[in-house]
Amino acid sequence: MRFLRQFAAAVAVVAVVVLIGLAWNRFAPALPGEGPAGHASAVRGQMIRILPPGSKPPSGGRTVAGAKPPPGAFGVMRNNSGSGMPGLLLGDLLEPANLAVLWHSALLEAAVITAVVIVNASYRRLRRTRRARTGVTGAGRS
Amino acid sequence: MSASSATPPAGATPHRVRHRVQVAGRARLDFWFDAVILAGYTVAYSYGFTGVVIHEWLGIGLGIALLLHLTLHWDWVVRTTRRLLSPRGHDKLIWLVNLALLFAMTLCVASGIAISRVALPELGVSTLQTPFWFRLHVLTAEVTVGLVPVHVALRWRWIAGVGRRMLGWRPRGWSR
Repeated sequence: MRFLRQFAAAVAVVAVVVLIGLAWNRFAPALPGEGPAGHASAVRGQMIRILPPGSKPPSGGRTVAGAKPPPGAFGVMRNNSGSGMPGLLLGDLLEPANLAVLWHSALLEAAVITAVVIVNASYRRLRRTRRARTGVTGAGRS
Repeated sequence: MSASSATPPAGATPHRVRHRVQVAGRARLDFWFDAVILAGYTVAYSYGFTGVVIHEWLGIGLGIALLLHLTLHWDWVVRTTRRLLSPRGHDKLIWLVNLALLFAMTLCVASGIAISRVALPELGVSTLQTPFWFRLHVLTAEVTVGLVPVHVALRWRWIAGVGRRMLGWRPRGWSR
């Protein structure tokens, strides 16, 4: 019963955030940090580049003939020799090119974790040293 | 990450808790569940690795996992929110990071559902497919990939403690 009550509360909080997103889309459908170059999104075997309305695709971008771009994108540009629209081919996951993407994400997260842990540990050590100097004990967590 | 499960149970002395090799079932659940969420998010973020099908189903799974994670730590949310006004309140930074992560991850999953090209159409649900949701998905995914490791790292002491106990590693000078 307690779990259900807490689950309902969590659902309510998440629903509020989703409603904020819907309101954002309804009343101010623009995102912070959107530059004139638009955003690029990597898709396996493709690069989809989204540009603001009225912009032209960059020179040298080879668009894939017959490929339907998603709304807001000017076209589907082939980035490598991928096989176009990806399917559920589990064997593809272990290809070195695809593994490199996962490796990159894992490395990024590990780097941030390491940096935060180092900063956090240094801060705790500094605080402990200060507390030891001033003779204050038992205030807060160590 | 759990704060509640790192708290010693009522009646237990800190000494006993520190040297107990047995890990409470709740801490074990939190540890593994959170590890799965972290791994799941890392894989889901690697769109070039998963492809669209796995990416979308994994994202939906992460949305459900996010709800369960929030439910499991609801006590911490309530307790820390109450303590925010207190000048000696702990975890203010963690609370802020968690709030930002809640917004980013929820919007990431919601926008991912809105632009779903495979999973939802397969279930017969039509999606919104507007540029706003597409861009919001990219933006929130990038914010989330920055905040998830911070969220994890701010609980590194708890993670290290539980991990050490689960692996049976005992600090030097440990005696029963």
